[in-house]
Amino acid sequence: MMSPRAMLTRAAPVLACLGLLAVWQLASLALNNDSFPTAIEAIRAIPSILGDKESLINILASLRRMAVGFSLAVALSIPLGLMMGRSRAVASFFNPLLMVIYPVPKAALMPIIMLWLGVGDIAKTLVIFLGVSLPVIYHSFEGAKAVEEKMLWSGAAMGLSAPQRLIRIVLPAALPEILTGCRTGLVLALITMITSEMIARQSGAGNILFNALDMGQYDTVFAMIIIVGAMGIGLDALFERMRARLVKWSEPQFDIPLSFS
Amino acid sequence: MKTRALTSDVLFGLVPIALLIAVWQALVSFGYAPVTLLPPPGLVFARLAQQLVTGTFQQEIAATLFRLFAGFAIAVVLGVSIGLAAAANPAVNAVVRPLVRVLAPLPKVALYPALLLLLGFGHESKITLVAADALFPILLSTYYGASMVEQKLIWSAMAAGTSPREILFKVVLPAAMPSILTGCRIGLVISCIVVFLAEMITSTDGLGHLLVTAARTFQAVDMFVPLITISLLGLILNGALEALRSFLLRGFPEV
Repeated sequence: MMSPRAMLTRAAPVLACLGLLAVWQLASLALNNDSFPTAIEAIRAIPSILGDKESLINILASLRRMAVGFSLAVALSIPLGLMMGRSRAVASFFNPLLMVIYPVPKAALMPIIMLWLGVGDIAKTLVIFLGVSLPVIYHSFEGAKAVEEKMLWSGAAMGLSAPQRLIRIVLPAALPEILTGCRTGLVLALITMITSEMIARQSGAGNILFNALDMGQYDTVFAMIIIVGAMGIGLDALFERMRARLVKWSEPQFDIPLSFS
Repeated sequence: MKTRALTSDVLFGLVPIALLIAVWQALVSFGYAPVTLLPPPGLVFARLAQQLVTGTFQQEIAATLFRLFAGFAIAVVLGVSIGLAAAANPAVNAVVRPLVRVLAPLPKVALYPALLLLLGFGHESKITLVAADALFPILLSTYYGASMVEQKLIWSAMAAGTSPREILFKVVLPAAMPSILTGCRIGLVISCIVVFLAEMITSTDGLGHLLVTAARTFQAVDMFVPLITISLLGLILNGALEALRSFLLRGFPEV
């Protein structure tokens, strides 16, 4: 049996969702604006979107691109970040380049990448890849930098080679920080996915959202906002569960992700 | 000694940027990419230099900067005050925490259509989007910074007869400053990115709008100019924040 207090803590995010929906409902009733449907109207429009075969395929295609871009970015960024954290030369080599790239909105590269690669899956996946890479590299870098020297010395004394030390000491020690980066990257992948699809209006969840806006189907616009929001919150909760399992030994430094764009 | 090591680090770091530009130039000169798709770097930078002195281009930059600063300022004020309040007051914390948990992972760009419908196509919707995106990193780092303040500092201030309000502003706020500034730095980068995206989606002016117009008319050179401009703006603003940081944190141990 859970204590009532623990139950309340558990239910708090759900209550927050309900509260937000209630505020929305009241605001739209008060404003009584044609282009601002009530929460209930928007929720009613959700089944018709998810029931439509074409929209469902579109949304699933978006998720697939996101998964591919995210996995590739994580696979490449973690080793780079760890090496940057452990070697001053590597860090000073890559840091300025990353600083130049950082403030550039990755989705803004979409029009240029589209010229080269077309509007297909490759262009969109590449943009998601670029968007996810930077926070993961940054957090892996910070995590690897903070690894205690003593552990590395003992590893070296026991005859571990440099790559072995990187995998067996630095990686586990930096894991909590790396996962914080991945969590940020996950939110970012979703944002980049929506924006890239909105710029290359061809398919995907972002396409449905902004087409509905152009055609004045406001119920669909707000229903899509709920769907995309639910995707964000759902993926984040899923990731948090996985993270808690992987790094049980470490207290979460941030129990709420820092969102990037 | 230290400065020399620093300069060589900087020079070393310029290598990949120079390499990138070299590869870019090579792709064009050896004919791997047609000039219409990938204009040579010299042409892009010449175009940038030529554009920077024109009044119309400066106006676009001013429009972008205005939205960026307005949104960022709102995010800083709200983020720091809500963060401090949540750290100081358990009742506020109980309300803010679940709300942040739900709202932080929400992709704010998806809210942009709603903001357009509610606030119109002018400055307001873009500023709101920038503020909404930059808010959470600032709020969270303020909150964590303020809740990590050493209890002993607060006790000594209380023992010296400081009122709770004064403790908040004279003890907790300065002690949380390094963390707050880290959050502001992340928030600033986000503001750069978001203001550009918002201008790309719907706008009649600003750097993002320039990119979209160039893309519609297939002017590859003009597509690169706003991208490089926003990257330079990001670097300059980051440098300015760094300077502010070392001024505000003078006397702090090296962070």
